[in-house]
Amino acid sequence: MNTLRLYARSMAILIKSQLQYPLSFLMQTIAQLVMEGGEMMALILLIDRFDRLNQWGPGDLYFFFGLMSVSFYLTEIFGRGVTGNFPYMVRTGQLDTVLLRPRGVLTQVLCSAADPRRITCIAVGVVSLVIGSNLAKITWTPVKILLFAETIFFSFWLILGLFMIEAILCIHSVKSVELANTLTYGGRSACEYPSDIYPRPLRVLFTVIAPFALVMHVPASVILDKPLFSWPKWAAFVTPLSGLILFGVMYLLFRKAMRFYRSTGS
Amino acid sequence: METQYRGAVLGGLICQVFFGIVLIAIYRALYAGKPQEIPLSHVTTYVWLQQAFFRMLLATDPELQDKIRTGAIAYDLCRPLHLYSYYYARIMAQKLTGSVLRALPMLVFAALLPEGWGLCLPASVPALLLSVLGLILGLFCVSALENITMAFTMRTLDPRGMQGMLNLLMMTLSGNILPLTLFPDSWQRVITLLPYAQLLDTPIRLYTGEHAVSRAPEALLIQISWTILLIIIGCAFWRTNQRKLVIQGG
Repeated sequence: MNTLRLYARSMAILIKSQLQYPLSFLMQTIAQLVMEGGEMMALILLIDRFDRLNQWGPGDLYFFFGLMSVSFYLTEIFGRGVTGNFPYMVRTGQLDTVLLRPRGVLTQVLCSAADPRRITCIAVGVVSLVIGSNLAKITWTPVKILLFAETIFFSFWLILGLFMIEAILCIHSVKSVELANTLTYGGRSACEYPSDIYPRPLRVLFTVIAPFALVMHVPASVILDKPLFSWPKWAAFVTPLSGLILFGVMYLLFRKAMRFYRSTGS
Repeated sequence: METQYRGAVLGGLICQVFFGIVLIAIYRALYAGKPQEIPLSHVTTYVWLQQAFFRMLLATDPELQDKIRTGAIAYDLCRPLHLYSYYYARIMAQKLTGSVLRALPMLVFAALLPEGWGLCLPASVPALLLSVLGLILGLFCVSALENITMAFTMRTLDPRGMQGMLNLLMMTLSGNILPLTLFPDSWQRVITLLPYAQLLDTPIRLYTGEHAVSRAPEALLIQISWTILLIIIGCAFWRTNQRKLVIQGG
């Protein structure tokens, strides 16, 4: 509990510190808005030209897109320490100071950075979710709301877990590793669309290795009343857990990798 | 410089290839539902050429930015050089080496992929030659554009806001996020005239034959006029900047 309070306090301080330069902050949030807006515009133009994607109508596609934006950028806001700063900390030797303090490494890394500029990206995601929900005529029931909240929650852990791969790799090779981006940013771009449109190898990648399909697409398809696989409905409540499992595995690997850590500082 | 970090280049290459395959998978699924006037093989070619020359669009020069921020640019001002052309040559060299090194292996890979996934053959031999010429003109044009962005950085110091915005314009309007050939037809008439479309869109259209060989002089002329115009704007911008430059540091 103490750790959580520490984390909440760090977040509050970090966000406050970013707001000390309101003009720069405003400019950057607007740049983020334009960026995510551009992505959404591409989706709008594609839907305008092609009408639908296999069995998925426009509403479904907006819903999947919004789900990905909201969960990915939530992770970037609150997990910035892992998603952005960690390789830099290793490269510069800053991580040494972290090792001296009487707290877990991951806790401190997570407490070290926040990225509130992404709030506008989340806004775009929410707009897309609302449009999708209206177009697909989703009838929201308490069960569906619960399922939606669960999906967002576990997506956060899934994406954080995937970013940990980069953290683990960079302990071993110091230089930040672009390869890990295929799973994180590549996964984001790919899984803005339901994973059943992809050929088998990609589908397996996004179901088994980076389980975006299990965490996001299975529950989302149940919310949209178009179940992805012919699995029973309760399965949609279970599959998102794989996000947390992935994070758990990565956490163990991370601890293992930390034993290899050699400082680069002088 | 680029050959020193082979691991990083390879990692970046695999990343680009992965993005290319994902994009093509999406377009294939979309085409399966509703085929379009533009053949699928042209769209996949568009994606691969965009991925291959991605570096040409986005290779910002961190060293120059640092120089501006720290004030080290004062040393460059002392050199007996025409600053604009110095940086123009520098940016162009970086873009050229960065993209050629990545483009060649990627294009070979894309050419080996089966029909409907990979790179299609150019429309004709003249089309190929014209597209290479278009690509070179595109390189001149994008370097002129980036020099204008740099001039903005000299004014505002913090490049992130402005540069983020310009980069996004670049990614969207040059066809990297979505091929310009898939934009609504009425938009295309305007977008293809903008400077961003001159960088990669024009050479790609020349390659696939979307721009017929007979229309090539017109397309190349648009590229040349934009390049000249952007160089004039950039030059003027740099000159006024030099006149009222405040150097950072101490």
